[in-house]
Amino acid sequence: MLSLRFHGRGGQGAKVASRILGTAAFLEGFYVQDFPLYGAERRGAPITAFAHISEDPIMERGVISDPDMVVVMDETLLQDTRAKPLSGLRKNGVILINTSRTPEEVTADHGVEAQVVTLDMTKMSLTMLGEPILSTPAGAAAARIVGIGEESLKEAVENVLAGILSEGEELDENVKLALSVFLAVTPLDITTVEALPEASPVIIVPFEPAHISSPTINALGNSPLRKTGNWRVFRPVWNREVCTKCMACLARCPDGCISLDEEGFPCVDYENCKGCLICVRVCPAEGIERVREAQVL
Amino acid sequence: MKEEPIKSFRDIPGEEVLCSGTPACAGCGGLLTLRHCLKALGDRVVIVNAASCFTLLAIYPLNPFKNSWLYTAMASAPAGAQGVRDALDVLIEKGKLDSEEDLKVVVLTGDGSAYDMGLSSTSGALYRNLDFYYICYDNEAYGNTGFQESGATPLGSKTATTPPGERHPIGSELPKKDLFEIWKSHRPPYLATISPAYPIDLINKFKRAGQYRGPKLFISLVPCPPGWGTDPSRSVDLAKLAVETGVWALKEAVRGEVGHTVVPKRFKPVEEYLRGQGRFAHLFRPVRQEETLREIQERVDEYWRLHKLLL
Repeated sequence: MLSLRFHGRGGQGAKVASRILGTAAFLEGFYVQDFPLYGAERRGAPITAFAHISEDPIMERGVISDPDMVVVMDETLLQDTRAKPLSGLRKNGVILINTSRTPEEVTADHGVEAQVVTLDMTKMSLTMLGEPILSTPAGAAAARIVGIGEESLKEAVENVLAGILSEGEELDENVKLALSVFLAVTPLDITTVEALPEASPVIIVPFEPAHISSPTINALGNSPLRKTGNWRVFRPVWNREVCTKCMACLARCPDGCISLDEEGFPCVDYENCKGCLICVRVCPAEGIERVREAQVL
Repeated sequence: MKEEPIKSFRDIPGEEVLCSGTPACAGCGGLLTLRHCLKALGDRVVIVNAASCFTLLAIYPLNPFKNSWLYTAMASAPAGAQGVRDALDVLIEKGKLDSEEDLKVVVLTGDGSAYDMGLSSTSGALYRNLDFYYICYDNEAYGNTGFQESGATPLGSKTATTPPGERHPIGSELPKKDLFEIWKSHRPPYLATISPAYPIDLINKFKRAGQYRGPKLFISLVPCPPGWGTDPSRSVDLAKLAVETGVWALKEAVRGEVGHTVVPKRFKPVEEYLRGQGRFAHLFRPVRQEETLREIQERVDEYWRLHKLLL
C-alpha cells in the first residue's frame, strides 16, 4: 500500500489534487481512499489531504502520519512550523515539491533522506490556465510518480473537474496541463522503510470546567506574529516615481498592512501582506506592480 | 456629541485598531469593513461576535484586536451585548467603574446571524432600546461553512445549497430579505448601510450615529472571493460596482427618516456587477437567462423609482 500526503494552502487545490490521484488510481484497478483534513481553513491557510492506494482492501482509517510520499504544493510550507510537511516521511520516500529550484538545492536546504522531485507547477498553471491553481498539476505529477497510466489520469481529471468547473474550455486546458505534467515527470520506485518516528508525545486532554478549558487571550493585537506574508503568490511593489501619495492603497488594504514612511510614501509590511493585490488594482497612477514571489526569493 | 465629517482618505484615522495576520481570506471585504469601522469607533469597545467567519479572527493564542472581544453562539450576540451593557452600567452606577472608562458595546455578525438565526434576539434588543452598535458584514450566504444560501442571498445566486441545474436553472429563486426595513420598523435612532469601498461615507456614518443612545445598526455588503467566485484583487471594485449599479443603496435612517448618502449620477447596468462573479456565471453561460437578468435589473430600478431617485 502507498500512502501519500498533500500539503497546500487553502484555494490552491490540495483536496482536489488528492481526489484526482485517488480517482486515477481507482480507474487503474486499485483500492483507494482520498480525503482532506477538515478544520477552520481559509484561503491561504495550510491544508492537508491524503490518499491511500493499495492492491488489497484498505483497512486503515484516519490521517496519514507516516507517508511514503509527500506533495508540497507551496514551498513556503517547508518552513511552516505548524504545517511540518516532511514530518513522518518514511526513509527513501518521495518528496514532490512545487518550486523553480532543482532537487539538489532543495535537498541541500533540508537535508532529508528521500528522493526529491521538483516541478514548477505554479509556472505551468499560470502559463496554461492563467491562474495559480495547482490541483491538476499536483494530482497529475503524483499520479505519474506512482506509475499511473496516461488514460486513467486523463479520465480522472475529466471526471473530477467536470463536477467543479462550469466552463468546458477550462476542462480542456486542465487535461492539457495534466498531460504536459505527465511528460515532465518520470515514475519512481517507491520502496520505503519505516523510519524511526520522532518522539511524538501523546497529549491527554483532561476534562476541565469552562473557565480553564476555554482559553482566554490576554494579549492585545498580537496576530501579526502569524506571518501571513507567506500566503502570497505575487507581491505588490511600489514605483515611487509615479506615486502621487493619494493614499488609495492605504485606504483599500483589508489587512491594514500599508503605512506611510517618513516621506509620505506608502510602504508595505511584507511579513503579513497576503497578496490580495487590491492595491495594484485601485492605484489610480498604476504605480504598483505585481511581481511573482519566486522571482523575489 | 456631534463630530465634524471627514472629507478625504487623508482624514481617515491613521492608527490601525485591527491588526494584520488574521486568518481571514486574502481580499476579504468583511475585514476591510471591520478595519474602517474600528478606526471610526476606536479601541474603547467590546465586540460581541456571533459565530461567523470572524469568530476565527481571535484563535488562541493570537488576537488581532486591541479591544475586548467576546464570542457567542450564532443566534445570541445581541443578548450577549445586553449582558455586557448591563454589567458596565451596574459597575458605573455602583461606583466601581469610572464613567470615563465606559466602553461601547458592538455586535459583530455575518448575514446568517443577522438575517436568519439571530433575528429574534436582535428584534428583542431593538425593542428594549439597548444602547449598542450592530455591524453586519453581509456576503450574502453562510460563507464560513462553504457558502450555503441565507436570507441575504440574492435572486439568481449560486450557493452550495442552490446549485443551478435542470430543475432550478437560476440558482437561488428567492430575493434577498430587506433587513434595513425590518430593522427600521423597530424605530431605532440610527441605522445605515455601508460599503468597504466607501470608507469616508462609512466613517462619517459612525460619527453621526455616535450622537444617539440606543441601537445603531450597520449593514455592509462585502465581496467574498471564495464564495462569490472572484479574484481577491477585485473586492473593492465589486463593492463599488454594487453601489454604482444601484444594487447596494448607501443610505441611513435617522429616527426613521431615510436619506441616501451616495446616489450615482447615472446608474450602470446591473449586468456589469453580476458578470465576472462565479456565483452568477450560470446566468450568462452557456445561454443568457434573459428573464432572470431582466428581473434582477427591474427590482433594482423599482427600488430607486420608489425613492424618486430614478425617473
